[in-house]
Amino acid sequence: MNASKAWRIMRKELRMGPRSPLFLYAIILPVVMTFVIVGVFGSLFAPSPRLGIVDEGNSSIIAAAQDLEGIEVTTMSSENTLKTMVEANDLDAGLVLTQGFDAAVRNGSQPALQFYVGGESLASNRIILQVTTLDLVREVAGDPAPVEVDVVTIGDAEAVPIASRMVPLLMIYAVAISAAFVPAASIVQEKEKGTINAVLVTPTTVNDFLGGKAGLGIVLGMATGIITLILNNAFGAHPFTMLLILLIAAVMMAEIGLILGIFAKDSNMLFALMKSGGILLFYPVVFYIWPSLPQWIAKIAPTYWFLQPIFEVGVKDASLGDVWIQLVIALVWIAVLLPAVHAMAKRLEQKVAIEA
Amino acid sequence: MTTNGNAIEVRDLSFAYGDIQAVDGVSFSVAPGEILGFLGPNGAGKSTTIKMLTGQLLPDAGSISVLGMTMPEQTLDIQARIGVCFEEKNLYENMSARENLDFFARLYGIKGMDFDPYLRRVGLVDRADDRVGTYSKGMRQRLMMTRAMINGPDILFLDEPTDGLDPVSSQSVRAVIKAEADRGASVILTTHDMHEADQLSDRVAFINEGKIEALDTAENLKLEHGQRSVRIRSRDGGGVEERVIGLDEANAGDQIRDAVAVEGLMTIHTEEATLEDIFIKLTGRELSA
Repeated sequence: MNASKAWRIMRKELRMGPRSPLFLYAIILPVVMTFVIVGVFGSLFAPSPRLGIVDEGNSSIIAAAQDLEGIEVTTMSSENTLKTMVEANDLDAGLVLTQGFDAAVRNGSQPALQFYVGGESLASNRIILQVTTLDLVREVAGDPAPVEVDVVTIGDAEAVPIASRMVPLLMIYAVAISAAFVPAASIVQEKEKGTINAVLVTPTTVNDFLGGKAGLGIVLGMATGIITLILNNAFGAHPFTMLLILLIAAVMMAEIGLILGIFAKDSNMLFALMKSGGILLFYPVVFYIWPSLPQWIAKIAPTYWFLQPIFEVGVKDASLGDVWIQLVIALVWIAVLLPAVHAMAKRLEQKVAIEA
Repeated sequence: MTTNGNAIEVRDLSFAYGDIQAVDGVSFSVAPGEILGFLGPNGAGKSTTIKMLTGQLLPDAGSISVLGMTMPEQTLDIQARIGVCFEEKNLYENMSARENLDFFARLYGIKGMDFDPYLRRVGLVDRADDRVGTYSKGMRQRLMMTRAMINGPDILFLDEPTDGLDPVSSQSVRAVIKAEADRGASVILTTHDMHEADQLSDRVAFINEGKIEALDTAENLKLEHGQRSVRIRSRDGGGVEERVIGLDEANAGDQIRDAVAVEGLMTIHTEEATLEDIFIKLTGRELSA
């Protein structure tokens, strides 16, 4: 393959990309999906109940609340602001601590505590915040807890919030559509329009042509992958490791895109292949959403071997040392697919010339 | 050039699509600056021959030498010096004419080229920045001709370059072909339009069922295989008498003299066989079949 020729093919694709609906779709899709998940189901996926507090005195409850794990505490100065935010579901609940509240609690005068609850908040969050508030007040009063609660975690001790478990789903969409589907559709379109014949009678080989298409997929796949991870706050603590994983993911998907593009005779066949065969690439994401399913099934798919490192590094802050085995297996998949791409590329040139 | 000074030398070229023998032992040569017309009906093997000469298909047998280089060993070097205009309008429709030309020029390693002189020559300079998707068929064909010429090719392969075009576009395309031959480029013109082949070609090859049935100048083919005659029409009482006198007949001169001496002479036309007549005579098939 001549890198300079491949670059010229890729450059054309990148320049003309904004004129292609599919190209735009590939870029916009992960952004839209992220906003749909965060926006529509945002409260469902919010990891912590959100409590607002207005302190008109100098209550010790503020500091105690802020020390609590698993509750997002926001302090504010105005009761009206608090009510507005609760009403808008920006907070699940809010409480107003009046002047001298702590002293009144301690001397047993049972002061009133205004506790606002958002109508749209989750019932589970309301209950958590009500119980937590009572505990905080009891601490101020100096009352010992009537029982000592022994917390025992059952199931996965490292349970991941569902919002984070959606990251593989978003990533497979982002990388598969842009790194595999865009180059595949571009190859099919060139075959349908006959432009591939015009390219292949210039001093450009079919490998240069496919190299340009693969380059397009890799660049686009990495770009949409990075955007998706940033939007989901899932880039992790090791950005270079994540970039390496994204590169491997994009290369693998670009290879699959080339195979699909060469194999499909026309756009209808390509869409049919994506719809029917896409499940083989996408199904590992199910095992992140429902982690109780037998995980070995996910490992059969080649995409698992880059999705798992993305999940580990992006969500669990793992390092390269933790995921290198998965990446090596992903590279083996890439190496296995390469001869298939090469064999199909050799046939492509004759095939398009015969069919022209 | 080849060792014989030809731009193209083809020997015993064959290609089969499965069981169908598309090209069967074809041999010919093309001189520099020569226009060779490939005439034959659909499926005769014209396009397959061109595909092998342009490096799109690998021959099953035979040898191809282009500009002194051999296929398939030097295919890329050959492709750098040829231009191909396809029958199919295979342009990038979401790109402008200028963008199309720029992309293909870069594939030849040409950067920063001024395309206006080329586009002006085919009357497209005013639409150079419009997307090709908005072009008429004739405009697309003229752009394809321009694309085939951007690398200043030594050989042009033109597959049905005027097929379905209006007379103005056809004229424009033919003028460009002539100009390229005058520049010194060899042209292989694939067509089933006998008039076009007759007008443009220095020599004509008749292809039928994968074989070259005849290869010569149009004039020689007509002389060798055609029949020359004079058609004379004159008034005969209330009607019209028409006589056809073969020029190769022994007493043709006397017959013509007698025929024109009569009163009421209306018209005299010399007639010669068309390429189509000769093709039918040689192959038993019509060119438009």
